[in-house]
Amino acid sequence: MAQTRLGRNENAAGWAFVMPALALIGLFMIYPILWSLWMSFQTGRGMNTTFGGFGNIQRLFADPIFLTALGNTLIFLAIQVPIMIMLALVFAVMLNNPRLKGRGLFRTAIFLPAVTSLVAYSILFKSIFSNEGLATQVVAFFGGPQIAWLAEPFWAKVVIILAITWRWTGYNMIFYLAALQNIDRSIYEAARIDGVPARAQFFRITIPMLKPVILFTTIISTIGTLQLFDEVQNITQGGPSNATLTLSQYIYNLTFRFMPSFGYAATVSYVIVVLVAVLSTVQFWVARDRR
Amino acid sequence: MSAGVRLEGLRKSYGAVEVIRGVDLDIQPEEFVVFVGPSGCGKSTLLRMIAGLEEITGGDLFIGDRRMNDVDASRRGIAMVFQTYALYPHMNVRDNMGFSLKYAGMKRDEIRRQVDEAARILGLEKLMDRRPKDLSGGQRQRVAIGRAIVRHPEVFLFDEPLSNLDAELRVQMRIEIARLHSELRSTIVYVTHDQVEAMTLADKIVVLRDGRIEQTGTPLDLYDDPDNIFVAGFIGSPKMNFLPVEAQGGALTLTEHGGQTVPMPPVGRRLEDGETATLGIRPEHFRKEGEANLEVTVEIVENLGGETYVYARQGASDILTIATGGVRGVRQGDRMTARFSPSDALLFTPDGMRIR
Ligand SMILES: Nc1ncnc2c1ncn2[C@@H]1O[C@H](COP(=O)(O)OP(=O)(O)O)[C@@H](O)[C@H]1O
Ligand SMILES: [Mg+2]
Repeated sequence: MAQTRLGRNENAAGWAFVMPALALIGLFMIYPILWSLWMSFQTGRGMNTTFGGFGNIQRLFADPIFLTALGNTLIFLAIQVPIMIMLALVFAVMLNNPRLKGRGLFRTAIFLPAVTSLVAYSILFKSIFSNEGLATQVVAFFGGPQIAWLAEPFWAKVVIILAITWRWTGYNMIFYLAALQNIDRSIYEAARIDGVPARAQFFRITIPMLKPVILFTTIISTIGTLQLFDEVQNITQGGPSNATLTLSQYIYNLTFRFMPSFGYAATVSYVIVVLVAVLSTVQFWVARDRR
Repeated sequence: MSAGVRLEGLRKSYGAVEVIRGVDLDIQPEEFVVFVGPSGCGKSTLLRMIAGLEEITGGDLFIGDRRMNDVDASRRGIAMVFQTYALYPHMNVRDNMGFSLKYAGMKRDEIRRQVDEAARILGLEKLMDRRPKDLSGGQRQRVAIGRAIVRHPEVFLFDEPLSNLDAELRVQMRIEIARLHSELRSTIVYVTHDQVEAMTLADKIVVLRDGRIEQTGTPLDLYDDPDNIFVAGFIGSPKMNFLPVEAQGGALTLTEHGGQTVPMPPVGRRLEDGETATLGIRPEHFRKEGEANLEVTVEIVENLGGETYVYARQGASDILTIATGGVRGVRQGDRMTARFSPSDALLFTPDGMRIR
């Protein structure tokens, strides 16, 4: 199509409008992404780096701390995300029942953790699970053993899983609640008249109808858990003996705690990128429309 | 197999608000009963009470000979078709229709047979693998009806099933539902706010207002012989004309129509001189001939081709609707004489009851 003078002017004006945003996105997103990809092939400490080819990738497989962090992260992911998604679904279905009294109150209570400050709630969890903390006392009250929550690798992982579940369940629940409220009530009335039992209504009607939202929240939660940092940093600092160390924390340590190893840290970052890409693809594939 | 339905003093309250206020009704097996009334009068609520979707606050509900007040919706032997179709969006047509049968403990082959049979009756055979979103409104409604048919209910319940369809489809589906009724010979309770649907489908119309039955009868009963001004105004399209009148020496003076006088319709009792009443005359009862005549000025003309509606008034009176048949050439501002026969007109007391 022939460009008219007016068309060119309009184009120029259009570009002028989007330029500031594009420049900022380019500067703070695209440039760092490309730069970190370049960095991930650099070896060396501090500012003193040289091109190392695939050296960093080889280093990954021989790095016991990286493998521990990767293992921990995948354990958090495999246990916490399914539990949280199920819990959020159950809460959402329960809160969607019009006959439930105090729905607004429960909804707020369950959602509230998602808007509390990360540090504040981390400190709270730290104190609840300290040696004289509430959790320890409750277990003792029911005659349970004395558990050193934050000193034992297993229990430290449990505390982290509890903490992120507490914080993010309500957040996911809101998505399901919104989706449920968009479902025509008469679908459930039809099911009731048709004699479909409550269990089957949940598994054969509700879950399939929420599938797109479940897929979305699963991917969001997967990405969130793969980037898990704040909770472990504030509650356990990755301890005891790296039992709760996550990939993000390891990246942080590589960059700011030890003698900076920017190149290797960038490589670990790209491990997260690859994991997100692979897991998202798998999830899309599992949730695909089979017809 | 179809059952009758009996409502005895049925009541429903939401908190302090009573929306169904004592409904007595006898529905015969195989009867097509239509609940009709203005929006918010309680038609859906009454239907949902029969279905078991709303609890019954007072009175008794019988389906067949069983009292059903406390019986679960799935055990009442009913099937319901909703205005929004309420299809399962993630299932194809076949699964939508067969889903309930699985939970009724039916074998796979039998489900298949039943679903195929319903699909044949409704002409859905070619659509069995489609999802609801790939169907037109009329097709969705057919699937919803199919889902009801496969359960072989004793009573079908329809809640405004055609309201979401466009005018042409509505007529088509109306005919289809009528055909279905004569084919299946099942009891049908059908809710609509559209009196044309009610007139064309019903064996018996139940006119509701504010949670009470105003009148029950065959379509023509209600048209020819309404009990009160509400039913007279609700049944028939366009609406009946109502003219304030005063009895004067055995004739009626039209108080808002320049004091013209028309003969008294044949009613059983004599009206006292000075007694006020309302004269009801249907648009289609204005004829070329008739002992009563009204001088009016034409305001608006609606030409439908086969029928022409003239909206006219006399001085400051309310608008009168006159159906003139195929008469053409009437214009705005024309003066015309609207004639009718007093025996076609109805009389109502000031509080709306029919004077017979
Ligand atoms: N769940 C409810 N709570 C309170 N009032 C209701 C409820 N459902 C319906 N109503 C009221 O009951 C009346 C009848 O409603 P409905 O049966 O839906 O009317 P229709 O179907 O004739 O239009 C309306 O005034 C409506 O506001
Ligand atoms: Mg309704």
